[in-house]
Amino acid sequence: MFNDLQLRTLHAAIDRVIPPDDFPGGVEAGVADYLHGQLGRDLAHLATDYPRFCDALEGEAQALHGQAFAALAAEAQDILLARVERAEVSTDWPLDPSAFFAAFIEHCAEGFYSDPGNGGNRDGVAWRMIGYEVNG
Amino acid sequence: MSHYDAIIVGAGAGGGVAAGVLATAGKRILMLERGPHSDFAQVPRDHLRNQRMSFYGHNAGPDIEGNPRTLEDGSIIQPHQRGYQNNAAMVGGGTRVFGAQAWRFMPQDFRMASIYGVPEGSSLADWPIDYEELAPWYERAEWEIGVSGTDSAMTHLPPYRKPYPMPSLEPNTAMRTHMKGLESLGWQALPMPQFINSEPYGGRQACIRCQHCVGFACPVEAKNGTHNTTIATALRSGNCELRSGVMVERIDCDAGGRVRGVNWIGNDGERDSATADIVIVSAGAVESARLLFNSATAREPQGLGNNSDQVGRHLQGHYYPLAIGLFPERMMDNLGPGGGVATCQFNHDNPDVIGGGMLADDFIVLPIISWKMYAPRDIPRWGLSAKQFMREKYRCLGDIKGPVHEIPSPDGRVTLDPKVRDKFGIPVAHLSGTTHPETVRTATFMYERAEEWLRASGAEKVWGYRPDLRLSGGQHQAGTCRMGEDPAESVVDPWQRVHGHDNLFVLDGSVHVTNGGFNPVLTIMATSWRAAEHIVEQW
Repeated sequence: MFNDLQLRTLHAAIDRVIPPDDFPGGVEAGVADYLHGQLGRDLAHLATDYPRFCDALEGEAQALHGQAFAALAAEAQDILLARVERAEVSTDWPLDPSAFFAAFIEHCAEGFYSDPGNGGNRDGVAWRMIGYEVNG
Repeated sequence: MSHYDAIIVGAGAGGGVAAGVLATAGKRILMLERGPHSDFAQVPRDHLRNQRMSFYGHNAGPDIEGNPRTLEDGSIIQPHQRGYQNNAAMVGGGTRVFGAQAWRFMPQDFRMASIYGVPEGSSLADWPIDYEELAPWYERAEWEIGVSGTDSAMTHLPPYRKPYPMPSLEPNTAMRTHMKGLESLGWQALPMPQFINSEPYGGRQACIRCQHCVGFACPVEAKNGTHNTTIATALRSGNCELRSGVMVERIDCDAGGRVRGVNWIGNDGERDSATADIVIVSAGAVESARLLFNSATAREPQGLGNNSDQVGRHLQGHYYPLAIGLFPERMMDNLGPGGGVATCQFNHDNPDVIGGGMLADDFIVLPIISWKMYAPRDIPRWGLSAKQFMREKYRCLGDIKGPVHEIPSPDGRVTLDPKVRDKFGIPVAHLSGTTHPETVRTATFMYERAEEWLRASGAEKVWGYRPDLRLSGGQHQAGTCRMGEDPAESVVDPWQRVHGHDNLFVLDGSVHVTNGGFNPVLTIMATSWRAAEHIVEQW
């Protein structure tokens, strides 16, 4: 579904939506695994849009910086994503930048904060971070 | 063809109580349930697919595929989608995954039209029975299903004849904070009565205070629904045959109005039928109405009991104004179920609005629900600060909400969609109309009281969801087969017998004339107990 470049872009974007600090970022916590699972399930209708979203992010990075999105510094990635969020894009997007980004950040949160059975929140790391305990 | 003394359609709160009463009285019954008879592991703790938050599905049915309903705008929707008004579909019905609040309605709740008058365009009406009539049956349900609570704190009700069988659960941090808030306001404060074992009861253990109560099944069966009480009793008696995974297609009725039995279709597509002396419909307010429509005869071409065009009308549920607060201290201490302090200060006698409702603090909010629905709207939705908000503040959020006594409209209704069929080929429910605008006014008043309570409890910042006009039903659905003396204005008589049919009954929330400012399940159980015992007495 994703080629290698698209995957690198996707992972970089996930880690800006949920960046690593002293707790894991989105990718390490399994958000990409959650997303891949959902693209074969409830989000199957987005299975072609997600790679296009990655291509569009990559296109923005190339147009603005002449570099791959994944190769940009975190700060530059954040600035670029904030522009996408406001639909201030400099290339032709095949989908609505704001709307897709809004959906993307929701999907990231779902992977990070929902139960590990959904593929993300590896070993309950997000729950440990926020102090949600499961006893019994 | 098999013959039974009674067939019960639907194994939820109402049907489950009826099964217990009839089977214990020695009646041979067949109980039909479209959902499964699931054990704990079959009701997943999926945070994205549960009866509390249905982003992508449910954990307690009905199946997402093959069970559509239709809306006024022509859309065909699935059970987890907005506007479907889903409850649950499994043995135990909603009681399997409910929040287990065990409220009695107040005496005034049965006399809404007399107290407030009838607003134009509304079908507000009094019940044909009053609180005193129902009080013994409330007590019966409290003791036989099992409720923990503090009767002396229920100062909004006439004194109880018997206390609750179990004391209230010990309060958690949020409850203690909200209790102080109520005290500072001078508002009534009470521990919420719950169908939860605070100590061993009914042969089952005490609550282990876990974090997955509302929306999920109990891992130790300390949450008391019909599945582990009355239905279990019925099955143990040897008099109750339970078939799950079957959808009743039609009630079979003769030309004189006497019901002969029902026809059903299994999940495997196989058709079957049985006859019975009586048929009890307990499928919930949407599906009970749908079944009556789908059972039309030449004598009642618009559906059984529907020659007065009352079936399916007055659909009600509960508006739930929700106010959220950010507290300087941690509110969430992981001691479940959470939700436990309430006030009935504003159920009635409010200036300038009709009725009111109970307010209470909430169950432990799942992290993903907290992030999606409870986080303040003015914080970033992504990036390090979003992550750090959850890290630092998830446990500092508190919320107050409560069910508003709705003012029904005859146009908020269930009808049949003749063009759309479910996976069995049966015409589906079509939902249209809204509640009466007075409901929105009362809900707005209640929202403001919820904010006031949060501030008094110490919230630094308060926000929430103000109500707007829409159709209401959902997990508290009611009203579509209202109870009354006059067949022109109701569907069932005060004993819940369908007008014009000696042996057809409705025992579920459908019969509620109005739905109280409280979670309705104890009232569904109490009315069903009363009606089922009457059926046995009159046999």
